Amino acid sequence: MNASTSADSSNLTILMELSHVSRVYGSGEAAVWALRDVSLVIRAGDFVSIVGPSGSGKSTMLGLLGCLDVPTEGTITVGDEEVTRLADAARTRVRGKSIGFVFQQFHLIPHLDAIGNVETALLYRSLKPAERRDRAMASLERVGLGRRADHRPVQLSGGEQQRVALARALVTEPKILLADEPTGALDTKNAANVMEILSGLRSSERAVVIVTHDLDIANSAVRKVSMLDGGIVSDEVLRS
Amino acid sequence: MSTFKDLVRVAFTGLLARKVRTLLLLLGPMIGVAAIIASVGLTDSAKGDLKQKVAKLGTNLIEAAASSSFGGQNPTLPTDAVERALTVKTVEKVSAVVELSNIAVTPYTEAREKFETVPIPVLAADSNLPAVLQVNLVSGRWINQFDEDSEVRAAVIGVGLAREFDVLPGENRTIELAGIPYGVVGILDSVELEPGFDNAVFISFARAEIDFLDDEVQPNKMYVRCTEGTESETSEALKTAVNLGGPQEISTDIKSEALELAAQSDRQLQMIVISMGLLAIIVGGLGIANVMSISVIQRSAEIGIRRALGHTRNIIAVQFLFEAIVVGVIGGILGVLLGMLAIFVGASIAGWVFVMASWLAPAGIILAITISILAGLYPARRAAKLEPLETLRLG
Repeated sequence: MNASTSADSSNLTILMELSHVSRVYGSGEAAVWALRDVSLVIRAGDFVSIVGPSGSGKSTMLGLLGCLDVPTEGTITVGDEEVTRLADAARTRVRGKSIGFVFQQFHLIPHLDAIGNVETALLYRSLKPAERRDRAMASLERVGLGRRADHRPVQLSGGEQQRVALARALVTEPKILLADEPTGALDTKNAANVMEILSGLRSSERAVVIVTHDLDIANSAVRKVSMLDGGIVSDEVLRS
Repeated sequence: MSTFKDLVRVAFTGLLARKVRTLLLLLGPMIGVAAIIASVGLTDSAKGDLKQKVAKLGTNLIEAAASSSFGGQNPTLPTDAVERALTVKTVEKVSAVVELSNIAVTPYTEAREKFETVPIPVLAADSNLPAVLQVNLVSGRWINQFDEDSEVRAAVIGVGLAREFDVLPGENRTIELAGIPYGVVGILDSVELEPGFDNAVFISFARAEIDFLDDEVQPNKMYVRCTEGTESETSEALKTAVNLGGPQEISTDIKSEALELAAQSDRQLQMIVISMGLLAIIVGGLGIANVMSISVIQRSAEIGIRRALGHTRNIIAVQFLFEAIVVGVIGGILGVLLGMLAIFVGASIAGWVFVMASWLAPAGIILAITISILAGLYPARRAAKLEPLETLRLG
């Protein structure tokens, strides 16, 4: 149970690799090591949860995994791109291409309807409006919200909003789906529903990564990475 | 191109989603542009009547009159003055006249006593005069070559005189010039640049020579149309061309100058009102900068999620600028319309002609867009600088 995943799944494509990554906030005496010498490999097909109490460094980890932040030391590779070498704009493009985000607070744009929110992920990509709409619609149908396409976030329940956010994350066909406390703002029933969709989304091409402090959620993943005090304390496969 | 369309579309959706805020944004450029347009338009309209006249009459009419620096009596131009004037390249049309003196004009013999005391100018004119003055006849025809050749007693009278003599248009009438009856063949419409012609009588050179002059007829005045814009040079050139160093001097007068001067808008007043308009538009610009800056803070989560979705800092900045540009375009157009309405209402109330220079509308819109872009730069930069990690408040 406690074995590292690298041994038995080495035949699968590496989607992302963190190598000896540290993240320090501030400098000198006030320096805070949010993350210290962390290495992590995420492969296609992974359904990983990253779990830890607040202050364990999992938010910093999320920022780095999402290419929203760069480490102070170490390298991060997404596909064959070394993100840590890229400038902000190039890193942003990698993010748009390879990573899909789902947040605890959904972060839907309030003045856009569901399909508009999903389409936002496809803006400025030289797509014809009709094609963009079709893809957004297909993505909404994938999370079972095809009939709610013209509803605004306020007209949707929390569970539905999170599913719209999922559709938005999926519409770009990202390699890595990164979910930050995806069920944190949902009731048990909706949480289970979202988790079920999430687990169904991992494929031979894609990994799903959930960052959470909730052990139940963490344990429903296939692989669990536990963090404490800016380091990884365990990385275990829970089921095959 | 599709990125451009996306930018415009997203800007519109963003603005439409916050209608009250957008309305507030629009007010600044709108009121500023409207104020500028209205001020320029209204001051122009106040003088619009005169301006229209100048435009209609043309600024290129020159009067060249015989003069004598020695104070000689009845100075004249050379007989071939018209031909000489035509040698000046910028001259397009010429017409010569002779002002005849001391001819009593009466509608009929019995009215002699009533009208004898009123001096009415009598001129011998060639067939070109209406064409050069750009004036039409109210009725009938102008003196033609037939009149000249056959020496008939035909006269054309000014519209003012026709009214005074109760000549009806098309009526067969005679008038008496120094007791000699002349048939009225036409009535000349009023000539703005030569108001005296309203009450004048025109006859042919041939007839004038027979009835009123002792020696060969010599013109003492010419009306010259020159190429637009060459008025002063032509005036100077005419002096040399006509007298050719001979004893006959001429003095020239550009007929539209006085009228043009009168038609000049009050520049000072206009500048004051334009400054106020500019002030309004600058305040409007500051308003845009202010409201949009607040909006950047309010929309920081939206900006964060867009950044997470792969929108670069540049895209975010340009997107905000586009919102400002859309505000500028719409505010500018509305401002132009509002300004035009103000001119129209103002001019109608004051009884002026609606005048609006053609450059005003594009200038107003460009000004509004410029101000909006300048105002949008700061919020756009702020939006682009936001760190997604900070705005998304990750758990």
